[in-house]
Amino acid sequence: MIIIGEKINGTRSRVGEAVKNRDADFIRELARRQYQAGAAYLDVNAGTLPAREPGDMVWLIELIHEAAPEAILCLDSANPEALAAGLEKAAAYQPSKLMINSLSGEQKRIEGVLPLAARYKTELIVLGLDDSGIPETVAGRLAVVRRLVGLCREQGLADEALYVDPLVMTISTNTQAGLVTLETIRAVKAEFPGVHLTCGHSNISFGMPLRSVLNQAFMALTIQAGLDTAISDPENRDLKAMALAAEALLGQDRHCLKFNRAYRARQIGPPA
Amino acid sequence: MQDLINAVVELMEEEALELTKKYLGDGKSGKEVFEAYQKGMAEIGARFEAKEYFVPELILSGELMQAGSELIKPYLSAADSAADEKKLGKALIATVEGDIHDIGKNIAGMMMDIAGLEVKDLGVDVPTKTIVEEAKNWQPNIVGLSGLLTLAYDPMREVVEGLKAAGLRDKVKVIVGGGQTDEHVCKYVGADIFATDAMVNVTYAQKWLGGK
Repeated sequence: MIIIGEKINGTRSRVGEAVKNRDADFIRELARRQYQAGAAYLDVNAGTLPAREPGDMVWLIELIHEAAPEAILCLDSANPEALAAGLEKAAAYQPSKLMINSLSGEQKRIEGVLPLAARYKTELIVLGLDDSGIPETVAGRLAVVRRLVGLCREQGLADEALYVDPLVMTISTNTQAGLVTLETIRAVKAEFPGVHLTCGHSNISFGMPLRSVLNQAFMALTIQAGLDTAISDPENRDLKAMALAAEALLGQDRHCLKFNRAYRARQIGPPA
Repeated sequence: MQDLINAVVELMEEEALELTKKYLGDGKSGKEVFEAYQKGMAEIGARFEAKEYFVPELILSGELMQAGSELIKPYLSAADSAADEKKLGKALIATVEGDIHDIGKNIAGMMMDIAGLEVKDLGVDVPTKTIVEEAKNWQPNIVGLSGLLTLAYDPMREVVEGLKAAGLRDKVKVIVGGGQTDEHVCKYVGADIFATDAMVNVTYAQKWLGGK
């Protein structure tokens, strides 16, 4: 499981405060801890108002690079100006490995995000939605993904650089929501075997009690469906244990080494 | 009719609808039966706030209220029907242009509906012009603008400016809603309040519109 650490996101109130107050230590610590907990990628979302977002994005990138220079930066914004400023900065540190979160079928994003991904040869998270919203059906989401994969190929991006997010809606308002995500994962994987599949699991349980249990169950189910990447909190031990357990049970963990090593390192199971 | 109230609160659909038919058949007025539903819904709202009930229970309660209302309608007098019209006020809600998140908006709309507001929901990614036009034509008391993304704040602000330009700003209260809204956003947009959960809207709507 490839983990994109989700915590440096200004829409979370403590991070938002840290961005506004320029609390560098808080951000560095968040980057360091996530990387140590196994996040290969670190999502960076300033979450501030558009006018100051480019500056905030650059500030965050500098700090993350100081604290976790090996982590791959995943620039998360819908604002092309913030992405452009961030990419310029990040490419100076690490030109060969960058990610953008995200492209969707929305015309504004196709025009604003895709050229940046092509120019910097980044990896790219691709969302299964467009200007008409999030399709309710598997076929609808697959159609959006198919169009976007085509556009990315035209721009010279390899399928292996794409991380398709089939989107997760809560089961609290529609009990079929989980199934639609799982079936979309299967359909995308069947049609585009080269692409990665990713999602954020926690939306599944919005509006429900015992969210962590639902999130863990959904983690196992998505892995069986073909998910290989998660946008998550790498310090969530239970979620990580569930991901490793699912991979071991599905024959994706040779001699169960990953599971057992994580256990010995006290990354899963009872804390040291 | 405590048994009916209990059946509503416990979300026992069949039992609630059977009791509704029984009471209406026994000669209870449509108004009395409807009030039993309202009491039940108030308790459901309280349980939601107390985190005993969750979103699925709210949605089911909305469906039950709908089904119950269908049974009750023929038994309401003309005067009752007029009184049954949403009397607290009107709320126009939308997720603004550039954003498609709608879970919060939908729940907020449902809670305001249950609280006695007439709610018109324009959907998601709604252009500023559409919201302002609708505010002109429909004359709501409250305009609720929802959005989860940072990029939603500029369109929200444009709606408020549009309301000003149309001479409507002092006639409506503007709520900005979304998990990441705060005082800063509220001020930037020029809204009256921000709401990070559905019950905030109801509390303020009742305060502003002179309900209890």
